[in-house]
Formats: sequence, structure tokens, C-alpha cells
Amino acid sequence: MKSRERLLTALRHEEADRIPIDLGSTDVTGMNCLVYKGFRKLLNLPDKPIRPMVTSGSDPSLFTFYNMVAEVEREVLDILHIDVISINRTLEPTLSAKKLSKAFINGGWRIVEFGFKQWYWREWDLTIEIPDYIDVIEGEGRYIASLGGREHAIAPKKSFYFNSRRFSTPLKNAKDVNDIKDFNWDFYKISDIVLEDLKRRAEYLYKSTDYGLIYFRIGSIHAWPQDLRGWSQWLADLRLRRALAEAVLDHVMDVVMYNTRKIVDALGHYVQVLGLADDLGTEEIPQISVQVFRDIYKHRYEEIFTYIKKYSKAYTFLHSDGAIYPLIRELINTGLDILNPIQISARGMEAERLKKEFGEELTFWGGGVDTQHILPFRKEEEIVEHVKKLIKIFAPGGGYVFAPVHNIQPNTPPENIAAVFKTAYYYGKYPILDMESKVL
Amino acid sequence: MSLLEFIRNSLVNLDLSSTLKYVGEALKHNVSIIDVINSLADGMKLIGKKYEENEYFIADLIAAVEIFNESMNILKPKILEKKETKLIGKVVIGTVEGDIHDVGKNLVKILLEVNGFEVVDLGVDVSVERFVEAVKRYKPDIVGMSALLTSTMMNMRNTIEMLEREGLRDNVKIVIGGAPATQQFAESIGADAYGENAFKAVEICKNLLKK
Repeated sequence: MKSRERLLTALRHEEADRIPIDLGSTDVTGMNCLVYKGFRKLLNLPDKPIRPMVTSGSDPSLFTFYNMVAEVEREVLDILHIDVISINRTLEPTLSAKKLSKAFINGGWRIVEFGFKQWYWREWDLTIEIPDYIDVIEGEGRYIASLGGREHAIAPKKSFYFNSRRFSTPLKNAKDVNDIKDFNWDFYKISDIVLEDLKRRAEYLYKSTDYGLIYFRIGSIHAWPQDLRGWSQWLADLRLRRALAEAVLDHVMDVVMYNTRKIVDALGHYVQVLGLADDLGTEEIPQISVQVFRDIYKHRYEEIFTYIKKYSKAYTFLHSDGAIYPLIRELINTGLDILNPIQISARGMEAERLKKEFGEELTFWGGGVDTQHILPFRKEEEIVEHVKKLIKIFAPGGGYVFAPVHNIQPNTPPENIAAVFKTAYYYGKYPILDMESKVL
Repeated sequence: MSLLEFIRNSLVNLDLSSTLKYVGEALKHNVSIIDVINSLADGMKLIGKKYEENEYFIADLIAAVEIFNESMNILKPKILEKKETKLIGKVVIGTVEGDIHDVGKNLVKILLEVNGFEVVDLGVDVSVERFVEAVKRYKPDIVGMSALLTSTMMNMRNTIEMLEREGLRDNVKIVIGGAPATQQFAESIGADAYGENAFKAVEICKNLLKK
């Protein structure tokens, strides 16, 4: 069975020949660049610079770069039997290594075509390929990513990520509806030129490969206002300043729906999955109550998912970290098909419970290995047992795409990662429950 | 109901304008500042209970902290005048090196203050050396370390090891918290305790002072 058909079979809640496997189709199902370097070494691949993902969209494209999640090369896709890729790729298979992005150049924002140049992160002995329209400058105790001469993100030298100025919370001081109205909302609308490029990429991958295809980060309706107002302040807004919150959300929805319509129209024929990212959880409880979800977000998610389903065949995907059990039923009711990353260690997110209660309606994309507490710390044999157990729970009946819980973090032994994907491949063959006859 | 009960209840109901109104009235009627602060602290404790019982969520907690802070802003000038507050212990707190996430750490900080602790907040991306410096300089009873990332959590271990090398380990109790942390991890790195949420962290700090 070909990868795309395998993915679609799983999304239809049927059993394919084996579970589809994802590594790196999104910047929340991948591997940190430093780990990726070590993993390539384990695979006996020659040492070379690592390229972080850069996702084109409505942003200046750098957010995903700052997260330092590696683009997975074709060799590694093949070795690990990966079934799904992003249409944003710049490594083979791809239409072009050059991409388009909104960039701040010569004192103004414009669309540029960019390639990559090398930058060496001395603390980690890691050479990274960075978009050639930014510069990384060494500062006191930190590195600064500079865009057109302006500080755009910083990384403490011993950090593994950059922290974007995206978090500079431009609407923090907004007091009333007028302050909200005057904000440059149009800046976040996807441009037709970028969209045209994305469409060509998607069409190329659709016609010349068998991979399942995803476009991730159409938008956010909770996490984005949190970036604009401040993480905590937005939560307080929802409780204490409802009129202001509604005004922000009306603008947010205007942008997100504009982008959704454009992306669905351009890519809907080629991609099998269209994804949104919103973190609604914490480790032990959702950030908001079910009631606040119903009052504030439910009808808005519904509007987005309804459009996607009406005008494309793509499945709807939402990334939300954390303990969100009380919200899952609500999300299914808004038209959500796929949930990621299934943070099985968070309170109330036990795999058995989720599969039993929601498995017939919802596809779980993730939950394959606990990257927070288990993958970096345990022995290979324990990892294999951990992954086998989770596959046994999630895979029966389809509705499951294997991926780790979020990105694989630095200090994770490469051998453990190999064990994860070997186990997913060999023990992910249907029928699942026949584990004893399978060998690694 | 007394004015103090109104203050406590309006905080618990997350009613910003009423809480501020009653705090203002209390000042006008020369109600003792310490009583007002205690009512607010009682309110925060009730909110903690509602959180533990899954009636309140993080958004509610954060709204409560905002109301509490706004109330304290009204009270602050008076507090300085009267110096009535009694501190029960000192905590040095920070997010470890390489990590700039501070929502959880800030919640712990405010709840510690509400409960009568003096808190020295070192901020985020706090190196091992800065923790050690702070222990020397402020002589706290407790050091609190936070991390959101599995990858940076290891710096908690490094800090504890450095405190041991400097002969300072036995002078302080060490409490850790944050998304990737667990009781098991706390034990493995030689921390004294793990706080799974902000309210638990405060309880733990209080208990550690008794030891």
C-alpha cells in the first residue's frame, strides 16, 4: 500500500496494512536539530549542516525556524518508513529549495525569495542552515536573530531554540475596542504570491510522490490572541474583559477565515490534512473551562472546520498540547477529525480512556511515545515496550497516525529514537493484536 | 456580611470592580490593612480549593491574581506606612538556564507572597552560578526552580550539584516544578520536594519550614 492511501485509510477509521508514521510533517511532530544531527550519525549518514523547518504562511515564516525542528531528508524518511510530509518542504522531495516569505528589508515589509546560508551554534557544535534573509549576531550571553537590522528573536546561548519577538505582545496595552481596530490586522493575511508558490509545491508533491500531504498552521484562535495580548493577560481577558476579548476575536476570525478560504481554495485538492495550532491545555487541566470554550471558541472553530469540509476533502487537524480531556467532546462536535499531540502523561489523557471514548470519531495523531518523561531517560527495551503498549491501544480499527508526543528533545539518545520508529514500523502492522509473531 | 467578607467573596467570584470598590471602602473606613490583606489571602486560598476541585481553571486563577495585584496596588502605600506584614520565610525562585517560560513560576511567586513568604525572583534563564550567588547573598530558606522544557530541566540537577560543591546545599531546601518535572525526577536529582501545581508548591514550602 502506498503512503497516501495508508494515511487516508487510517483517517477513514479503517485498518490499512500498517499504521501510518509521521516524523517532521509539522513543526510539532519532529525532532530538534541537535538531536537530528546525532540521529543521522547513528544511521551512518555523512555529517552535514542541519536545516530547520521554515513554514511559509501568513507570518514572516520564521516562527517555525526559531523552534529548531529539523527538516527530515528523504534518506531518513525512507529508513524510518515515514508516510506523510509537509508541502512546505525545501529538501527533496520538493519542487524547489527556494521559498517565498514576507521579510523586513530596506525599511519595509516585502515578499522575498530566499535560500539558506550556514550558521554555527558554537555551544552545541552544530551547523544550521538559516534563511538567507536573516542574520544571527552574537550578543552578551545570547544570540540575536536580526531581520533587516531589527532584533527579531533571541536565544540564550545554552538554549536549544530562539524565542521570537512574536511574543512581544503588541496589543498588551490595548484598552478598548478602538485600540484593537487600529492594529495592522491585514499584515497577517496570506499574500497571493506566497499562496501561488504553495499551490505549485503542493501540486508537485501530489503528482510526483505517494506521500500523504499536510499543510499545518492555517491559524490559531486561542494561541494567537495569547501572543498578541500576553499569555496570562489573554486568559484574564476572557474572564474579566469579555467585550475587549470579543473585539480581538472578531479581528482574529476575520484574518483566520480569510486565510482558511485562500488556503482551502489553493491547496484543498492536493493536501489530505489541513491543520490548526492552538494550545488549550496545561499539564493538569485545560486553561479554560468548558463553559468559556462554549461561549468563546466553539462557534468559531465550527466556522473554520465547516468551511474546510465544505470546500475540500481534507481532514481537519488540531494541535493542542496538554490536559484537554474535558474539551475533546466539544472539539469533535465542532467538526474536528484529528487531534494532536495526545499528551498521554497529562492528567486525564490516558490512552485507553481516550481511545475508548473518542476512538470511533476522532483520529489520534501522536501519543506514540512520551518525549517528556520516557524517551530521553529510559533504556531501549523499555522504550520498545512503551511504544508497543501504546500502539496496541491506539491502532485497532484505524483512526491512528503514529507520531511521538510533540518534538523529540535534545539529550535524547539516538538509539532510543531508532527503537521508537522500528517498533512503530514492525509492531504497527495489522492485525495489531498479533504482537507475538512480529520481530524487530 | 462584613466589608472583609465582601472583599473575600468578590475576589472568589472574580469580580474585579467590586473587589476594588470594597477594598477602597475598607481603607476609607480605616479597616486594618492586615485584615484586608488577610481577606484577600483567604479569597486566594478558596480559589485554590476551587482549582483543586476542577471548578476553576488556569484562566480563573490568572484573573484572580490580576484582581489580587490590583487590590494590592491600592493597599501598597499604606503597607509601607504601617509595616504590619510578618514574613514567615524567604524563597529564591527562578526559571533555569536556557528556559524563558515563567507563567508557572510567577503563579508560585504570587501565591508564596500571599501566604507570607518573602520571594526573591531571579527571573528566567537563570544560570547555575546565579542561583548559587543568590543563595549566598539572600540566605533563603528555600530555593525554587522551574522549567517548561525537558531539555532544560537537567539544569536543576546542575544547580543542586553546584550548591553541594559550594557547601551550601544543607542551608536550603530545594523545591522544583514545571511541566516535565515529576516526583521521581525530584528524588533522582536530590531535590527536597516537587510541587505539581502552584498551590501544592506553597503547601510544600510551608511544610519544609517546619522541618
